[in-house]
Amino acid sequence: METKRSPKNIFVQGPISPESIAKSIANHSTKTDIGGHSIFLGQVRADEKEGGKVTAIEYTAYEDMALEKAFEIREAIFAKYPLSCMHIYHSLGEVKVGEICLFVFTSSKHRKAAIDACEELVERIKKEVPVWGKELIDNDGSVWKENL
Amino acid sequence: MALTSIQVIAFGMIAEKIKTKELVLEYMPDTEVLLGYLYQQYPDLQHTKFSIAINKKMAVGKTAIPVGAEVALLPPFSGG
Repeated sequence: METKRSPKNIFVQGPISPESIAKSIANHSTKTDIGGHSIFLGQVRADEKEGGKVTAIEYTAYEDMALEKAFEIREAIFAKYPLSCMHIYHSLGEVKVGEICLFVFTSSKHRKAAIDACEELVERIKKEVPVWGKELIDNDGSVWKENL
Repeated sequence: MALTSIQVIAFGMIAEKIKTKELVLEYMPDTEVLLGYLYQQYPDLQHTKFSIAINKKMAVGKTAIPVGAEVALLPPFSGG
């Protein structure tokens, strides 16, 4: 029977804990062909909005499409760069300011592929994956986030 | 679901504007007819940027809606 890679879950309920990030790094110590890791962490910023300050972002997604799209991007990046490993995690639900909402992790034999792949992944995730952030304001209002 | 209807799901700001996350509409052959209906029913959407996905693929321009398709209304993405 033909084996086919299928979409992996990328979603984490609530913030991504620094402990889970540390553990993810530690998990690569046995992969001794890796010479470089590149990590991007997205953190919720306390922006000033009309009427108050952002206290958290509430994330929702079109989950089925998001997982399909993330898989498509993942396959394209694997085809483009000589990577050993790639991990993508995105929060759903409420993430408070200062907490981590996106964790992208690439590893390769040499640094350049890991760095370039990580940057391209982050850009494509923000542009192509159907996820929405609603910024919650300290006056009990909210604003739909816009990606620049 | 009857073959003569289409299921439309809405997300983010669009779901807020139409006040529901799910609509069941009479069958419409393509995205142009669907947009015409939505703009008439929800005039607010005329001033809102959004895309349409059919069976989880982005529809660009006038696109046919297959019978039984899952149609989604997607405001600009803002993940990360």
